[in-house]
Amino acid sequence: MIKKARVNQLKSFFKKPHNVILVVLVVVLGYLTLIPLITIVVDTFTVHSSEVRAIKLPMGSFTLYHWNKIFASGMTSQKTFYEPFVNTMVVAFLSCVLAILIGGLFAWMVTRTNIRAKSFISTVFMFPYIMPSWTLAMAWLNFFKNSRVGGAPGFFTALTGLETANWFAYGLFPIVMVQGIHYAPFAYILIGGILQNMDANLEEAAMLLHANRLTIMKKVTLPIVRPALLSTFLLVFSSTMSAFAVPAFLGSPVRYQVLTTQMYRTLNGMNPGYGYIIALVMIVIGVAILMLNQWVTGRRKSYVTITGKSSNISLVNLRKARTPLTVLLVVILLMVAILPLVSFAIESFIMAPGDYSLANFTTEFWVGQGSPEIANSEPGILRNPSIWLGLTNSLKLSLIVSAFAGTIGLLSGYAVAKKRGSKLSTIVNNLTFFPYLIPSMAFGAIFLSMFAVRRGFIPALYGSFWLLVIVGTVKYLPFATRSSVNAMLQLSGEIEEAGTIMGVGWIKRMTRIIFPIQRSTFISGYLLPFISCMRELSLFILLVTPSTRILTTLLFQYNEKGWNQYANAINLMIVVIVVGFNLLINKLTGASIDKGIGSN
Amino acid sequence: MKKLLVPLMILLLLPINLFATGSKEAPQAPAAVVEEEISHDELVRRAKEEGKVVVYATSSRIAKAATGFTNLYGIQVESSNLKDFELIEKVSKEARAGAAGPDFVLAQDVGRLVGELIEPGYLYNYVPPVYRDVIPESMQNPLQAFAINKVFIYNDEGVSESPYYNIWQFADPKYKSLLQFKNPFQEGVNANFLTMITSDKWAAKIADAYKSYYGKEIKLTTPNAGYEWIKAIYSNDLIVGTSDTTIAENVGVKGQNAKRELPPVGLFVYSKARYATSKNLALKPAMDMEPFAGFYYSLYLLMATNAKNPNAAKLFIEYLFTAEGFEPWGVDCGTYSANPNNPIQEDIDFPFAVWEPLLVGEEGDFTFENRAEVEEFLNQYIY
Repeated sequence: MIKKARVNQLKSFFKKPHNVILVVLVVVLGYLTLIPLITIVVDTFTVHSSEVRAIKLPMGSFTLYHWNKIFASGMTSQKTFYEPFVNTMVVAFLSCVLAILIGGLFAWMVTRTNIRAKSFISTVFMFPYIMPSWTLAMAWLNFFKNSRVGGAPGFFTALTGLETANWFAYGLFPIVMVQGIHYAPFAYILIGGILQNMDANLEEAAMLLHANRLTIMKKVTLPIVRPALLSTFLLVFSSTMSAFAVPAFLGSPVRYQVLTTQMYRTLNGMNPGYGYIIALVMIVIGVAILMLNQWVTGRRKSYVTITGKSSNISLVNLRKARTPLTVLLVVILLMVAILPLVSFAIESFIMAPGDYSLANFTTEFWVGQGSPEIANSEPGILRNPSIWLGLTNSLKLSLIVSAFAGTIGLLSGYAVAKKRGSKLSTIVNNLTFFPYLIPSMAFGAIFLSMFAVRRGFIPALYGSFWLLVIVGTVKYLPFATRSSVNAMLQLSGEIEEAGTIMGVGWIKRMTRIIFPIQRSTFISGYLLPFISCMRELSLFILLVTPSTRILTTLLFQYNEKGWNQYANAINLMIVVIVVGFNLLINKLTGASIDKGIGSN
Repeated sequence: MKKLLVPLMILLLLPINLFATGSKEAPQAPAAVVEEEISHDELVRRAKEEGKVVVYATSSRIAKAATGFTNLYGIQVESSNLKDFELIEKVSKEARAGAAGPDFVLAQDVGRLVGELIEPGYLYNYVPPVYRDVIPESMQNPLQAFAINKVFIYNDEGVSESPYYNIWQFADPKYKSLLQFKNPFQEGVNANFLTMITSDKWAAKIADAYKSYYGKEIKLTTPNAGYEWIKAIYSNDLIVGTSDTTIAENVGVKGQNAKRELPPVGLFVYSKARYATSKNLALKPAMDMEPFAGFYYSLYLLMATNAKNPNAAKLFIEYLFTAEGFEPWGVDCGTYSANPNNPIQEDIDFPFAVWEPLLVGEEGDFTFENRAEVEEFLNQYIY
């Protein structure tokens, strides 16, 4: 009898779609995230092929060499780990604060006030996020580089005659500025989404009780956006912590180093074991943040902000400040979002660096045949077959990844929210987030060794396009899941229940009720993976083969070689494609990456 | 329910070997490839039968050479341009996994090539029979395709004579924040160079150079004069770059010398000297430096043990030593074919025989043996 009851229990458990989703996700994600983790741990204790002579043990044998060197070897540990560690924490924290301040301010202005030019601000604000982060770093150097590195002076020095200080041009300050600006749109999307959908009745109720603006902000608005703030903090902190290219470009002239630059050199150099320990440390920090987040959000009930009732947003009237504030925001935007693009465009037409006379302009880097005297006979990007291949691959990859990550994220968000509080749901919620905490570079390296051979029913995937798809999907799932969970938590259960009572099937409930209500949030769950994929580098760099090369790997190669004209041209191309795609989606569905904040 | 889940998962996953971590690194040396002597015509016939060849290269010009090769023989080439460490990582991982990899490679960073790819048997040396008597024997094992030099180059606008004559200048506080050099952690050959100068031979020369610059014996705080110089130049605020092209531009842009005491100088590939005309820069090598004017490294041609198209690969290797095959590199200065009959850019360059005595060379064994130590040492001063 007990057995039968068990079976029945099980049957009814699996009858609910959200349970099926959760179980499938636990199995698949458990496999795709825990194995990499185990691999990393094993690698920290193993002698690697490049270390055979240094450690004097055969390859593959057990060793404590790396742990000892990283944590307990005086100067070596200090320079390899402790100093970069402190720098990393400082950079990540400050970048986060900056991103949330800028993003939050813009989000509040656009959703909550009657500022002008909302749709312009909203669209353009996304640009820094669309551009690969290191290209912003290149733009920073274009503008503020000083005579320390020599060469042509930056635009700023050229225009004003003032020499920028070293701390301003290189190192901590520009790294924080660039990363803060790069991730501000992220904060904007997450915070703006919540503000947009917030039931204005809550604020109105407070107003009726004669609470002043500050009190309302403190007691009503902030608590409601707090989950979004925390998600943002979490995501941005992890991202900046594992960002490599920005510190590499801006830190190197003054030799400012962070964990990722150390990881890059060790993982790709003679001591991969060090790199894996650093990766592990970064994962541990990420998990700690995740737990902290859960502890904070778990302490109080969530706020249901979308009910069956209609809601209007009452906008703050800026009165006299309306126009000046609009101008201010637009000017800031022009500086951080448009100016870099303009500089890319100009630089892509310049032959000799630093010479902006008309005679020095050339279309060589766009449509040239390629000349051996300039860049090893590389043809201009519009007639360069490898760029066309890269473009096709990038588009294909981003579309497929976004379809997978978006859909899985939507379903997991739904299931997690449905079973909120249950162990299973917590596990899935954490599992979907976990890939985000593994630094991209290490993640790529591990998937390379994992899937180079046949594993059970999974064929050897290395060199195949689908390996890129899997890595991308797993890595970007957190974006989709986060926005989906946020959307679902806002959604009162009564809405779906109404459908259930009417006997509406699950698929129909999903497609006809739930998706349409939170459509813009869900669609952003598709768009974020798309954009991230279009501009991702370190995740894919080890996995691409000649036939699967993508735009960003080409872009980075050009940047590294210093063929900046080609790089600038490709960068412009990426931005144009993503912005165009965003506009297209906007036209077709009314949603966009900024979720149409401000445009409706 | 939760109790059921865990066993269910394990049941699903365990029996199908999904949990193996893939890091079993103990390599099984592949059976040595037995070479069979065949004529050039026979090689061409067999290569055409294969119809295709896959190459990994650390030089992007391979694409140009591939086009020439395809036009000549009608054999398709799949070439990919990788960074030195990516190539090593990829080839060794692919070989260990038995996945399809390249048929041959054109690669740099000799220490790691020897230690990590040739010794485990993933790659092997093949010298085209027709070139056995042409290529100097010292360049045959492992087979070098060509050498590339990186030398001290300064901005010579309005400067008649090189202000730089001794490497110890860059360690002198009078020349602070001056020398530009790409991050050695970004490119293995740069780290190899720093490793080579810690060898007894070069350390002794560097100690002599110290004496001729300062007029007194060097006092060591590190194992030898090579280490001492590395420590000194980085402590003297050497400017770490990210790309040789960028360094060349930063050094060579005109109009700088008027505004500063000392002309900018960098240690970077000589091939950028061509920018002096094509990009209107001022670049000139400081060739009379004591005890060296820079260093050189080579690109090696190596066959993959599990090549799918071995004959096409051999034919391509052979092709790269012909005048036509070398052309993508030969059109520029700073690259010197191992086939001494291939010409150089005589207007601004010198034969390799002129350069070689001025430069620090590379030794595979020594670098593989000692680079980890030098890297660790460098790491204390570079940041």
